[in-house]
Amino acid sequence: MTQFIYGLLLYIFLMLPPVAALFESMMITHMHMQMPMLVISGFLMSGLLLRRSHLFLEKWNHNGIPGITLFMMIMIYWTIPRTMDEALTMQTMEIWKFISLPFLAGVPLRDSWKKLTKAWKNFIIFIFTVKYFGMGALYIWSEESLCNNYLVIDQLTLGWGFITTAICLVIYLVYAFSVNPSDYE
Amino acid sequence: MDAAIEQNRRAAVISEKKNKVLGVCLEDARISKSYLAVAFVALLLGGLLGLLQGLNRAGVLELPAWLNYYQILTAHGLLLVVVLSAFFTIGYFYAGLSHTLGGLLPKVRKLAWIGFWTKMVGLVLVVVPVLMNEASVMYTFYPPMAAHPVFYFGLVLVVLGIWILATGAFINVAHWRKNHKGQHLPILAFFATGVFVLLVGATAFVAVEVLFMIIPWSLGWVETINVMVARTLFWAFGHTAVNIWYLTAVSAWYVIVPKIIGGTRWNDYLTRVVVIALVIMNITGGFHHQIVDPGISLPIKFMHVFMSLAIGFPSLMTAYAMFRVFERTGRRKGGKGALGWFKKLPWGDVRFLSPFIAMAAFIPAGAGGIVQSTNQLDQVVHNTMWIVGHFHLTLGMSVVMTFFGISYWLVPYLSKRVLTPQMNKLGIIQTIIWTVGMVIMAISMHAAGLFGSPRRTSFTTYGDFAETLGWNPLMTAVGIGATLLLIAVILQVYAVFNMMFFAPKGEVEFPIAEIEQDEAPTPYMTERWGIWVVVMLIVIAMAYVLPLTDMIVNAPPGSPPFKTW
Repeated sequence: MTQFIYGLLLYIFLMLPPVAALFESMMITHMHMQMPMLVISGFLMSGLLLRRSHLFLEKWNHNGIPGITLFMMIMIYWTIPRTMDEALTMQTMEIWKFISLPFLAGVPLRDSWKKLTKAWKNFIIFIFTVKYFGMGALYIWSEESLCNNYLVIDQLTLGWGFITTAICLVIYLVYAFSVNPSDYE
Repeated sequence: MDAAIEQNRRAAVISEKKNKVLGVCLEDARISKSYLAVAFVALLLGGLLGLLQGLNRAGVLELPAWLNYYQILTAHGLLLVVVLSAFFTIGYFYAGLSHTLGGLLPKVRKLAWIGFWTKMVGLVLVVVPVLMNEASVMYTFYPPMAAHPVFYFGLVLVVLGIWILATGAFINVAHWRKNHKGQHLPILAFFATGVFVLLVGATAFVAVEVLFMIIPWSLGWVETINVMVARTLFWAFGHTAVNIWYLTAVSAWYVIVPKIIGGTRWNDYLTRVVVIALVIMNITGGFHHQIVDPGISLPIKFMHVFMSLAIGFPSLMTAYAMFRVFERTGRRKGGKGALGWFKKLPWGDVRFLSPFIAMAAFIPAGAGGIVQSTNQLDQVVHNTMWIVGHFHLTLGMSVVMTFFGISYWLVPYLSKRVLTPQMNKLGIIQTIIWTVGMVIMAISMHAAGLFGSPRRTSFTTYGDFAETLGWNPLMTAVGIGATLLLIAVILQVYAVFNMMFFAPKGEVEFPIAEIEQDEAPTPYMTERWGIWVVVMLIVIAMAYVLPLTDMIVNAPPGSPPFKTW
């Protein structure tokens, strides 16, 4: 219950117009802060929701693959430049962002992550690493403005945000593959 | 649950027995003693230079042309902020690693000596240009002021030395963990791990600044430098460095002080959470040192206020934890009523009194820090003596007084000598003089700053301008404070070398407090340093990508080197 309240408070905080306006005023904070925080708010709230829908999830997401697939689809969808543009110009898309990220990405992530094997978890992180390098390259080298609402410098910054995050993920993967936990635990 | 509690109890008994049997390893002690000796010699020299500065600012001492104010200011900062703090931290934590992990590995010992001499050579290379008045750039060495290139080569060696020492510490910790599968790292070694992770993270930024920006520029290979980027990289290091010394002091508050007062440690799990939180969130706090810098947009500054204030959270946890430990211990010793426990604390023991005053000083020091993280308030005080007062409270009291308190048991422990009652008394006197001196100095600096007295400026009456003459009484008080502080420095340095070489032989304990017997076991996740380091890196990326890209892409015209002195 405590987690649900924290998640809900975070969700409401992110919805406050000045907060949303601040995050959305910069491309990188829009994609790399507001969006992950929406996922986290859903992740925190989902404990209570998942307990109520235990049987449904057991039937449809017993090995975690469907849930993580849904999570990936939503996450990839929101890295497309056009979707960010639309979220800023169309009210319905903004509402869709505030519903899809917490409830269709955060909730299934929580239910699926613990069910996945270690190999699957690392595979998912690997996919994100490749995607982040790719998106970083796209945003850095694209000479044209990919979003109508942001300047080229915004897009360049976001590109470097992707690259640095991808480097962090690579460091994690190297750590995961080179250090054997059974040597220490 | 009961089994876990029993396991905790057994671990405590075993660690107590091990300490009694093993005592201090002489080879390891030599390493720590060397670091401590350099640290306290630096204190003596830095303190002396501090007095010269204080007397100059008080208007009673005109410095000769061959040793000017800015030279002294640079040397004072470097000796105390970089040498004293870094050498003490390393000496203390290497002693802690040796004690809690059952001795240093031979290769780690070798690394510690290589690191020591690398740092010493670096130090000489830094100091010589300062003495020759070729590097009066102050310890922040901001471009566009440019020192002699040798100064920067020295800095590179100092950083290299730190990396060698961090590598040694990590090797020892990994070795211990391989041989103690599933166990939690002893708490002091846990703090040491956090500190060395931060040292590597922080110095990486300054290494990039010095190697790729400043050295080519000072050698004339490139004509100009991007000042904003250099400042940003410096403060990612500078702020973290300050917090590393603070985390070192905090380790003594959590681990050592409870044992000295005869109590038990604060909850092990929460202690480790505080360390992890400080490690993850620290480096990004550097940005608040640039909160009045031009060329950084307001939304970015606004976000960074959150990142800075976030560091306040584990500090508040620490404040709560410390007073809870004091209260619990005082009550067990029979303290009654709301404040009766306070009287039961060992006020006559310098090993407690000094760190306690250090903690108490952190209340106004931390509050001042929060003030300075706030853009509007910082605009009033940023380039004034207020800031100087602030870091004399944080470093000069909270950190250094804890270091002094540590020295009164660590030096005798390492030297196989004892802390005599006379030395304890001298320590108490030294603590009181230092406290009085620092309180006088810090308060007058804060006040002078509020009236507008600038920092980094030698004495001037501004053509006897009435408004600025009003600062003079406050600056006289700074001079009085500095005089008292030098007396305390002399007593402290005398105490350290007396305990190292002349005190009566004997055995003293390395005071590490145990956990409460009925404490629930700490989850193993606290030991997964690989994950915490990745989280730290992601937080750093979140904080720095945005402003740095802007500073590089929309760079102002670069600056050629300047020699302003």
